[in-house]
Amino acid sequence: MPELSVVAPLYNESQNVQPLVDWILEALEGYSGSFEVILVDDGSRDDTWQRIAAAAAAHPQVHGLRLGRNVGQTAAMMAGFDHAQGRVVVSLDGDLQNDPRDIPMLVAKLDEGYDLVCGWRQRRQDKLILRKVPSWVANRIIRRLTGVQITDNGCSLKAYRRDLLDRISLYAEQHRFIPALSASVGARITELPVRHHARRFGESKYGISRTLKVMVDLITLKMITTFRSRPLVGFVTVSIPMLAAALVFALLWAYVATHFAPFKAEALVFPGAALLWLGAAFYLAMLGLVAEVALNSERESAREVPTAWEVR
Amino acid sequence: MSAEGTLMEPIVERSQASGPADVRLVSVIVPVVERADDLVTLYRSFAGELDRRGEEHEFLFIFDGGFTPPAELAALSREQPSVRLLSFARTFGETAALRLGIERSRGDVILTLPAYFQVRAEGVGPLLDALQSGADMVVASRSPRLDSWLNRLQSRAFQRMVGGTSDRRFHDMACGVRLIRRPVAEALPLYGDLHRFLPALALREGYRVEEVAVPQHPNDARTRVYRPGVYLRRLLDIAAFFFLAKFTEKPLRFFGLVGSVFFGLGAVASLVLLAERIAGQGIANRPLLLLAVLLVALGVQLIGLGLVGEIIVHLRSPHRRAYRVRERV
Repeated sequence: MPELSVVAPLYNESQNVQPLVDWILEALEGYSGSFEVILVDDGSRDDTWQRIAAAAAAHPQVHGLRLGRNVGQTAAMMAGFDHAQGRVVVSLDGDLQNDPRDIPMLVAKLDEGYDLVCGWRQRRQDKLILRKVPSWVANRIIRRLTGVQITDNGCSLKAYRRDLLDRISLYAEQHRFIPALSASVGARITELPVRHHARRFGESKYGISRTLKVMVDLITLKMITTFRSRPLVGFVTVSIPMLAAALVFALLWAYVATHFAPFKAEALVFPGAALLWLGAAFYLAMLGLVAEVALNSERESAREVPTAWEVR
Repeated sequence: MSAEGTLMEPIVERSQASGPADVRLVSVIVPVVERADDLVTLYRSFAGELDRRGEEHEFLFIFDGGFTPPAELAALSREQPSVRLLSFARTFGETAALRLGIERSRGDVILTLPAYFQVRAEGVGPLLDALQSGADMVVASRSPRLDSWLNRLQSRAFQRMVGGTSDRRFHDMACGVRLIRRPVAEALPLYGDLHRFLPALALREGYRVEEVAVPQHPNDARTRVYRPGVYLRRLLDIAAFFFLAKFTEKPLRFFGLVGSVFFGLGAVASLVLLAERIAGQGIANRPLLLLAVLLVALGVQLIGLGLVGEIIVHLRSPHRRAYRVRERV
């Protein structure tokens, strides 16, 4: 069984396959342990798969995985992780922007006693407005929100201990949040500066349109990292400001009702607002209970076969 | 929607499922759920066609609640062990019938067939050819169509709406004649009324789906008019299918967006009212106040629902994988 697994997802990166393989093999020439390279073809429409198959045929350490359709970077990485056998797993982009020569350094750092070592791209070679500025803002927000002090969450070049990968399961577009999700399961995390290169072949699959989606995903991230095991607390925490608002309106109502006799229709606005916020807070608390039910039923059924309903 | 499975084994197993393999036994599953032609004739023509091609076959007729097997068919099944009749005690519908058929049959290839002549029996050949050339599922597309304009209009409308939910456009999703490899049929999450979307479902799960034109049978051309409730249900099915395709993994993106829009509109309306109040205008009798309250309340509720959805998705995530491995080297 190999010691180290290198996982790279590729989507329409035909021209990059061969250089990537050569580069990784060259970088790992001096590596002491055994290793494997897993190239995941995420449903490419060009001949990426043929090139991967050729590379796999030429080098015994190289393996290829072809996915049924394009499922996105996170799921493609998960496919690679699920098939990786190494005690240490390193992920990197398939577009040659990460430098495989940094792999031994990351692995060495991991062996100092970390579960996750994140790359931190130095002198990033990307477009300023479209890529770097949104990334800078997003990283700041992620740090503030999660308290995990990783400078560059978006860098794909990372080294993981196998045990950590067994404890986190990534879905949707969570590859951006790996440090935060890892921290939430108790991983020891650090970062190291890594090299970054401009794209040579093919084109970037990212655009600015993802900003809004990332913001929504951040709310989810905050919730599942903080309140995964006690959703009721999370929902009630959100409802407390609403209760406060309800209280303020109730007090205003009491004030108006006692000081401005005779009673005016106008004064009904205050009890109305108080009831609105009281109702919203109550509703959220109830939802928290639903979430608790979901959590509990999942704990019960975690060992069961996935749900299928019986036909007579 | 993603394939369910524990970590390694099922994924690897499934990866070996596809790819060309020779067909040893074709299981023909006939769900008798809506209308039925003469089933013995149906059996004879399709069995004859399979015989002509030299394929081993078995036939499973599944009678939904309310349908009794005709006497001649029962007699046929007594003398032909390859013909089996199964019967539901109450109405379970076509999807359940298909699932039962998949479970009880043994063939490495499954042919689903409506209980009436939808296509000509000669169409089976090209379907099998397409499967043997490597597809995981082959669906028939009735062409040329002999239908009345009303049928075609309904079918076109259905196709149009479903088309929006899928990467690829199928010409005849409503056709019940489909050839499926067993591992694929067993892996597909079939429930509710999803049988209508089988090709799109398989495609979404990452299988290779082919469409083959098959001549329509004149019996199928009869004009169909359904009760309004049926159309509504069909519409809801499409909506659910669309929603699951887009947001199964990220419910907050849907509920959060809609909720934020409601909440935002409510907040704006409230601010407008506040400004007017400060300017000295009364607001207690303004309908806008009611609207603002309603929008804020709805917004909070929707966002909350989205969060619960995210928790459920997160809890399920260790058992789910969005990918399906097609090949390994």
